[in-house]
Amino acid sequence: MNSNKPTAYNNRLGVKGWVYAGRYTFERYLYLGHRLSGLGLIAYMVLHIVETANRMRGEEAWAALMTLFASPLFRVIEYLLFAAAVFHAMNGVRLLLTELGFFLGKPREPVYPYSSSIKRHRPLTYIIMALAGLIIILGGSSLFFP
Amino acid sequence: MRETRLWSVHLLVIPIIVVLLGAHFAVMHYAPVFYGVSIEEARNFETMIERGRSVAQLVLYILLLAAALYHGLYGLRGILRELTLTPGLGKIVDTSIILLGLFIFALGAYVTWWTFSFKIGG
Ligand code: HEM
Repeated sequence: MNSNKPTAYNNRLGVKGWVYAGRYTFERYLYLGHRLSGLGLIAYMVLHIVETANRMRGEEAWAALMTLFASPLFRVIEYLLFAAAVFHAMNGVRLLLTELGFFLGKPREPVYPYSSSIKRHRPLTYIIMALAGLIIILGGSSLFFP
Repeated sequence: MRETRLWSVHLLVIPIIVVLLGAHFAVMHYAPVFYGVSIEEARNFETMIERGRSVAQLVLYILLLAAALYHGLYGLRGILRELTLTPGLGKIVDTSIILLGLFIFALGAYVTWWTFSFKIGG
């Protein structure tokens, strides 16, 4: 490693680069949540495919597995999975809208006081996150208090 | 160009995931709300086999499997590749992810086919 290289120009932040940001705005936390939920979902999906293959071992093996999944601990895990999927999907829709250029406002001259496209987009961000929160609460109430 | 194409597919499969994953959640996790059936009933072996015998379910499950695996594993690849790997390590990451994806896809597709062609009572 070249130790004379100024760290400001060194883009090899390694694992730190996954979370490090100079400014932690609301969107930065959403980015972290999106990444964590995405990783959680793909890890779960791989395990889920392996676990549901258990049906090929017959009805009893399947029933035993389903009894395990009906336990309170697995119910909570299942709810966390649901919450992660809802958050990831709703934030994903926000990202898609942003990447396709929607709701960012018209390009403007950069005249002080600056108004960034992120700020113009923020009301929509709050609405989408409030909706995600509502779906997560409703989903929890019908899972735990059927 | 190749990277743009891979990324575009990552985004293009999203509508498929939203619709099919939503349906999967409704059937498997929220059956009492959407179908008036208890979760135990929805996940019972016989119900599962009964459901799995429909051609629509066979096709849609395999589609969801492919779309979600592609989207998720491409995302994982991007996260790992952000570490600015050497070309050699990058190749190892790509190959491992492709192999994992193919293995899980083959297993999932086989189990879905197994369910579809299961004969009750032998
Ligand atoms: C339910 C609907 C979903 C939507 C709307 C959605 C949307 C998105 C979007 C927009 C991105 C960022 C793409 C980009 O800008 O490059 C993304 C990344 C990702 N998604 Fe999804 N996704 C969904 C479901 C899933 C599922 C089911 C999985 C796992 C199997 C998953 C795993 C990931 C991963 C690992 C990333 C990369 C995260 C990162 O780079 O920080 N997503 N998703």
